[in-house]
Amino acid sequence: MGLRNWRKYLNKVVLLVLILIAGILFELFTGPGEFTGEIMQLRILRVSLGIFAGGVLAFSGGILQGLFGNPLVEPYTLGSASGAALGASIGIVLLGYANPAFSFLGSLMVGFLVLTIARIESGLLRDRLILTGVVMSFLCSSLVMLIMIGGKRELYEIIYLLMGYLGIVFTPERRFIFLLISILSLFIMLYLYRFHREFDIISTGVETATSLGIDIQMFSIKVFILTTLLVSFIVSLVGAIGFVGLVIPHSSRMLFGPRHIKNLVGSFFLGSAFVLLADAMARNLVVYELPTGIITSLIGVPFFIYLYRFK
Amino acid sequence: MKWRFTIPILILSFLFCERSVPRQGFRVVSLSPAMTEVIFAIGGADYLVGVTTYCDYPDSAKKIYKVGDFSNPSVERILSLKPDLVIVNIPEQRRIKEQLEKYGIRTFSTSPKSIDDIYKDIINIGRILKKEEGADSLVEYMKANIRDLGRKKRKTYIEICAQPLITIGRYSYLNELIEMAGGENIFGDLEKDYPVINQEQVIMRNPDIIIVLHPEEIEGRLGWGRISAIKNKKVYKNLNQDWLMRPGPRLVLGFKELEKIFE
Repeated sequence: MGLRNWRKYLNKVVLLVLILIAGILFELFTGPGEFTGEIMQLRILRVSLGIFAGGVLAFSGGILQGLFGNPLVEPYTLGSASGAALGASIGIVLLGYANPAFSFLGSLMVGFLVLTIARIESGLLRDRLILTGVVMSFLCSSLVMLIMIGGKRELYEIIYLLMGYLGIVFTPERRFIFLLISILSLFIMLYLYRFHREFDIISTGVETATSLGIDIQMFSIKVFILTTLLVSFIVSLVGAIGFVGLVIPHSSRMLFGPRHIKNLVGSFFLGSAFVLLADAMARNLVVYELPTGIITSLIGVPFFIYLYRFK
Repeated sequence: MKWRFTIPILILSFLFCERSVPRQGFRVVSLSPAMTEVIFAIGGADYLVGVTTYCDYPDSAKKIYKVGDFSNPSVERILSLKPDLVIVNIPEQRRIKEQLEKYGIRTFSTSPKSIDDIYKDIINIGRILKKEEGADSLVEYMKANIRDLGRKKRKTYIEICAQPLITIGRYSYLNELIEMAGGENIFGDLEKDYPVINQEQVIMRNPDIIIVLHPEEIEGRLGWGRISAIKNKKVYKNLNQDWLMRPGPRLVLGFKELEKIFE
């Protein structure tokens, strides 16, 4: 890599860091509250939640797009989001409120079902996972509708869960869950990151990968299980924030090139910054709180078109 | 000889009696659980031919033919009942209302934003069902029991839903009910009926009393410890939601509960 390329690369990294800092500051210092200890404590938690959710979603998206070699794959394609919604709605019916444990179990069980069904037939598991995931998503969505139909207040909870919302209220239970899953996610992501070479090879083609000695069947299963875990963590806590897992990995590839060693890290931080900015807008645009997921798509599309056009 | 006259007279008088009941055979479908309760209370239950699965009070309402649930009543089922009047909630059932009106069915819209609106709805439905006396006495009863107690207003926060936080704004009749009972809704300035709010706003507005209308625990929330209602253990749960969330006769019971809270 020549000096000029290095400088170009450095510029992009600096830009990314600046966006991230802007996101953090924007999220910390805007909003309805005064700057008292309690409120800053809540905002710091919300910032960490945003960094965590955005980063993990974009990272999982990058990994899945690399594995499947399909630009339309995102973390929710494999059924985890609708599984979580299904779990949450069952929780609402049984307990009267959305419990993160239910969303997590729902998401995990649908992931497990997708894997089992995809493995029934022989052939390339990788491709069947997508189809099965999409089909299961539809099934879960109809089940959610079936459960939720007729609900009034419950509908709100499900909408905010399906759109994704960072303004959750931290009960001791949720605080513990957040701590636990952020540590677990960190380990899972570091583990997956070690396979960046394998992702590079697989994205050039399955034949190449096989001839280079990668067991693509086993590798797909491993990656699928780990990303499903990651996505279940996020969805159970903040709901399915859309658009981040789909578009941020593309943006990161445009900025940092096709090598996964760079663009996965880029995805993580770009995702964090993006979700923080979106959430800061969701809180401040109107007097009422909006679901974060609405804003991610609203500002995400113009951002993506800009990148696409002026890269 | 006597009987020859009496029997036709009896028959005739029965016929006239039948005619003098003005709403004989009038068929009403109620898609509003609150209005179902109102119709029962004013003595119009015989006219009800269809209700929703949410209409569970009084007990005999459960036996009436169900046309669907609150959000998705079946237009086909409603039409098959050949109703003369369908009671709809606005805005939730606007789509149903439009469809029914296309078939030429008369609808009665209810969307109370204040206590007065509730009374107006009761009087109007009483007039339509020719049960004015029942409606008047129901309104009298409610007015006698739900009245401004003239107490010192205490800052109150009502939580309807925890994730996201949903409370009551100015355009909910509950806002007025709280004020009459001796509270001041801390979100009474928001021009909406059920706004989604930020927890920072709750902490800043620091309510003295918190009323929770959902089953989730609220003690132990991060950052909420400074709120005086939580410090002084003025958090009220286990209220009967239907008493407060249904703008019907049982609002009186809900008001009595609020009265106790603000004592």
